[in-house]
Amino acid sequence: MTEYLIRRTLQSILVMLLITVVTFILIHAAPGGPKQIYLSPNLSPEAAERQAANLGLDRPLPVQYFDWLGDLLRGDLGYTFKNNLPVGDLIWPTVGNTMILMGAAWLLSLIIAIPWGIYNSTREYGFSDQTASFIAYVGFAMPSFWFGIILQELFALKWDLLPLSDMWSMGKEGDIGDLLMHMVLPVSVLTLGFLAGYVKYARSSMLEVLDQDYIRTARAKGLGERRVVFRHALRNALIPVITVLGLDLPILVAGAALTENVFNWPGMGRMFVQMATQREYSVLMATTILIAFFVIIGNLIADILYAVVDPRVKLGRKGGASA
Amino acid sequence: MTQNLLEVRNLTTGFHTERGFVKATDRVSLAIQEGQTLCIVGESGSGKSVTSLAIMRLIDYAGGFIESGEVLFKGDNLAAKKQTDMMRIRGSKMSMIFQDPMSALNPVFSVGDQIAETLRIHKHMSDKAAWNKAVEMLRLVGIPSPEIRARQYPHEMSGGMCQRVVIAMALACDPELLIADEPTTALDVTVQAQILDLLAKLKRELNTSILLITHDMGVAAEIADRIAVMYAGAIVEEGAVDEVFEQPRHPYTIGLLRSIPGIEGERGGELYTIKGSIPSINELPSGCRFHPRCPHVMERCLREEPPLMADERGHRAACWLDEVPKEGA
Repeated sequence: MTEYLIRRTLQSILVMLLITVVTFILIHAAPGGPKQIYLSPNLSPEAAERQAANLGLDRPLPVQYFDWLGDLLRGDLGYTFKNNLPVGDLIWPTVGNTMILMGAAWLLSLIIAIPWGIYNSTREYGFSDQTASFIAYVGFAMPSFWFGIILQELFALKWDLLPLSDMWSMGKEGDIGDLLMHMVLPVSVLTLGFLAGYVKYARSSMLEVLDQDYIRTARAKGLGERRVVFRHALRNALIPVITVLGLDLPILVAGAALTENVFNWPGMGRMFVQMATQREYSVLMATTILIAFFVIIGNLIADILYAVVDPRVKLGRKGGASA
Repeated sequence: MTQNLLEVRNLTTGFHTERGFVKATDRVSLAIQEGQTLCIVGESGSGKSVTSLAIMRLIDYAGGFIESGEVLFKGDNLAAKKQTDMMRIRGSKMSMIFQDPMSALNPVFSVGDQIAETLRIHKHMSDKAAWNKAVEMLRLVGIPSPEIRARQYPHEMSGGMCQRVVIAMALACDPELLIADEPTTALDVTVQAQILDLLAKLKRELNTSILLITHDMGVAAEIADRIAVMYAGAIVEEGAVDEVFEQPRHPYTIGLLRSIPGIEGERGGELYTIKGSIPSINELPSGCRFHPRCPHVMERCLREEPPLMADERGHRAACWLDEVPKEGA
């Protein structure tokens, strides 16, 4: 296990390095890269060159890359072009805000989806199963921004039950009750999105397992249905579900740009879109790296959980899924 | 005659499918006395496995059901029981082992745990007592260093080992009837022999009755007291093993016996095969279900279905050829 963790960590570091290279190259290759953004078009060529030299933009790209990487490793994410703010000060609060929102929606959808999927697998095509299918189609088909706007229209504007947008009411920052009220609508939108997939996933995974020979063996042993489903089937059915959850984990940090925009939630998704339109390339790079980091962490957690649930997976021998 | 441990009477089973009701067995009757081994032999699709699932009432979970007939276990009709009552019988009074031992064990629990579970459920043993008994069962079925093996998972064992574990699990609560559905088919030949020897030995030691399902006449010859031959969902011949092997009466049985490759006899000679293939039970021919493939087919076979007719030694066959009109079975 320790050996596995060490090897996976080393692998992850390598992958992260590759991601920094790719991110850096892509940002610099894009039209409107740092040189065009940082330098005023009104400058004379000589002045522009002097300015570029001051900013270090005249150096060869590899040198700039290692300079940036060095800063990154020291925790210095750079400064914004516009107000010269530290990028970290901009990113970290939005990460927290996003995690509150996404975490709530994610947990809520899991709490609903997994038991519901299990129940539906034991009563295939029953009323509950059909309802879940319907909700899944709606959840997949309906654009989240549209659903969000509908909810705002009804619950905030028409009936005035819930706040329209933002994270806090003016002057109530830090008030948990106020935060919860603000969370209801966006969390509903996001939960529906997660739920749609998870219910279907839990159900189909369960159905597949319930069809296995060892389930017949469990029944032949005289076990009750509850024991068959919850002890013998569930643990096997959770194995593929864990993969999906691991892969979805980064969303908790990356946020949901559309929903955050509709509800004016000060999270990562909304910030990223704003910064992209303003070509704040240091912010974009830092954000990309951060999300990549969570993708890797999510995969690692999924692999470790795999080994916990499935004795066939031996960590330390050949390793699990790729990063 | 001694009391029948299990008596199946006119068992007709089927499945609901998209195309409607599909029959799987047709008025199957058979009996097993205490301590006896009955083998059901037949080709794939003859309804042998469905019969065994119906006896265990596991057919309910496979999308099938018992349409009519009785399954009398010690005089108690299992066909009329609720699943909650069957749970007390399954695994304790009658248990079952399956074809593919590797997939019959749950991959996420240790084998000891899976054996102990049966004991905890039926015998209400403590965790520790159940575990100890599980280890003891593993020893009984010939698994070396059972204390270590008990902690292992199915994927750490060979097919033969897994089948021994499944047998240990099935016998843990000392059942009166063991149903074995093709227990050696998925194993290689040397392991097959070991497993058969083990079953024979356990049967002697524990006085368990066995219902063995197989398509292999050789396996049946080795272990059975009586043999029932199934064809297209019905029993066509049934009798004591010696009689069926030495004086087979149904042309299908004769065909099956002739298709066993022997060591003696001319080498390079072509192996006998029964022409044609088994019909679906829903597209049965008129009259005798075997007549399109029968080398001795007569005019009567096309019109009338032969009932199972018993001779004075209880050897039953459903064929007009040797109509010995003594008594209908």
